[in-house]
Amino acid sequence: MRSTVRTERLVTVAGYLAGFGLLFLIWHLAATTLVRSTLFPPPGPVLERAWVLIEDGILQEQVIASLKRIGQGFLLGSAIGIPVGLAIGSFKPVRWMLEPWTEFFRFIPAVAMITVAVIWFGIGEESKVFLIAYTTVFVVIISTAAGVGAVGRDKIRAAQCLGATRLQVFRLVALPATVPYILTGMRLAMSNAFVTIVAAELVASNDGLGKMLWDARLFMQIEDIFVALVALGMLGFATDRTFRFLIRAFAGRFNATV
Amino acid sequence: MNVRGYERGFNVALVTLDGVGKTYRGRTGAWEAVRDFTLDLAEGEFFCLLGTSGCGKTTVLNMVAGFEQPTAGRILLDGRPVDRPGADRGVVFQGHDSLYDWLTALDNIGFGLRLRGMGRGERRAKAEHYLKMVGLTGQGAKHPSELSGGMKQRIQIARALANDPRILLMDEPFGALDAMTRAVLQGELSRIWAETRKTVLFITHDIEEACALATRVGVMKRGPGGTLKAVIPVDLPFPRERTSDAFMSVFRDVHALIHDEIHGAH
Repeated sequence: MRSTVRTERLVTVAGYLAGFGLLFLIWHLAATTLVRSTLFPPPGPVLERAWVLIEDGILQEQVIASLKRIGQGFLLGSAIGIPVGLAIGSFKPVRWMLEPWTEFFRFIPAVAMITVAVIWFGIGEESKVFLIAYTTVFVVIISTAAGVGAVGRDKIRAAQCLGATRLQVFRLVALPATVPYILTGMRLAMSNAFVTIVAAELVASNDGLGKMLWDARLFMQIEDIFVALVALGMLGFATDRTFRFLIRAFAGRFNATV
Repeated sequence: MNVRGYERGFNVALVTLDGVGKTYRGRTGAWEAVRDFTLDLAEGEFFCLLGTSGCGKTTVLNMVAGFEQPTAGRILLDGRPVDRPGADRGVVFQGHDSLYDWLTALDNIGFGLRLRGMGRGERRAKAEHYLKMVGLTGQGAKHPSELSGGMKQRIQIARALANDPRILLMDEPFGALDAMTRAVLQGELSRIWAETRKTVLFITHDIEEACALATRVGVMKRGPGGTLKAVIPVDLPFPRERTSDAFMSVFRDVHALIHDEIHGAH
């Protein structure tokens, strides 16, 4: 049993490596044979440049600046979104009252809120954390509320005829049954957070990957642009894998699709 | 009515359904699912309620369980009116979605005991006992997703029994299983019933299943306004020999009763 799991994992990792290898190969061929322009460098010089930036500690600085904002805003947004989502899913009056809010705000993208955020909070950390929290909170609310609504009727009935009080039904049945939905909502929110952080840093920031992109464009450091893009892709991929791993670890036994 | 005195009598009615009716009112009008349903369930009996689909048999069970309220008549358990679900009525559902995916088999069985605040050690020992009773010793650490359909139904039965209810309500619990597994589980259920002498109300549309399990079979009239058409005592020893003449004869009696209902339904 255990060895097959390990083999499966190895195959998965090998597949990922091959996939990335192919991506870099196509990039290389496209840059060297098709485009042949200084505006589209092949992976070699980009990786060389990345190495220089890592040695100087510049790349890490930008990555950490961006990740810190994402982390803070994401946690804040989830901390607000989960209880609000649970309340909306559990109580009709709360749903009637708050659903217009979620339905209103989720159509105002975080990118559109950048101007307001900068006016309110300046170009410091607060505006970025606010934007990430903003982009996180509604996705988490909606999927949490949907999760509460999707708890099987028989699961609740079974608890009732085993003697559960209303509070016990919520705590021991509705809540754990909703966990996979919460985690899935957080995973979606995380990809939104990546989109938002770059946009926010492009417009107003002193550091971070978005700022790095912006500066590189100003000074026509084409390799730096690609370093930032690859870094974003890698970070997003790693974060999403981590999330999937967590969902499996916590909720792998659930029947929800993960 | 002197309920206490009545309870001490010989033929104790554990559950009384007295002129019970259920009419659903929706946008498309009213639908009478159950009409004037009267039945006394005695302590320790195994009562199979048999009927075609849509005859209202599940509605009857849901009302006894307290999931739904009758719109006419009344339901008493131990002389007290039933108005909500409670730990005195254990339910085994047809689908196994009622198990808790995030808990092990053993924790599923001990769920009701946990609700009552029983300590971990005692709960475990009790859950192990019922795990063994349903023939799943050694499978306690598995999660529902790792168990087969038949095993999940065994866990459901163990979970309901571990809570020691006054009556076990079973809503076509083997309906979704293949014929072989179903026959095995019917045998197991008969054995468990003989061991525990728990009162059972068992809903089914399978004539053979009803004849194999029940001490009495109630045949329901086709809906709308489903009601009890006849009650047939099945006075055969357990385990029942399904190919015996005596079994065949009971089967034919029940079949004759339900024949009109089946053919009327088409």
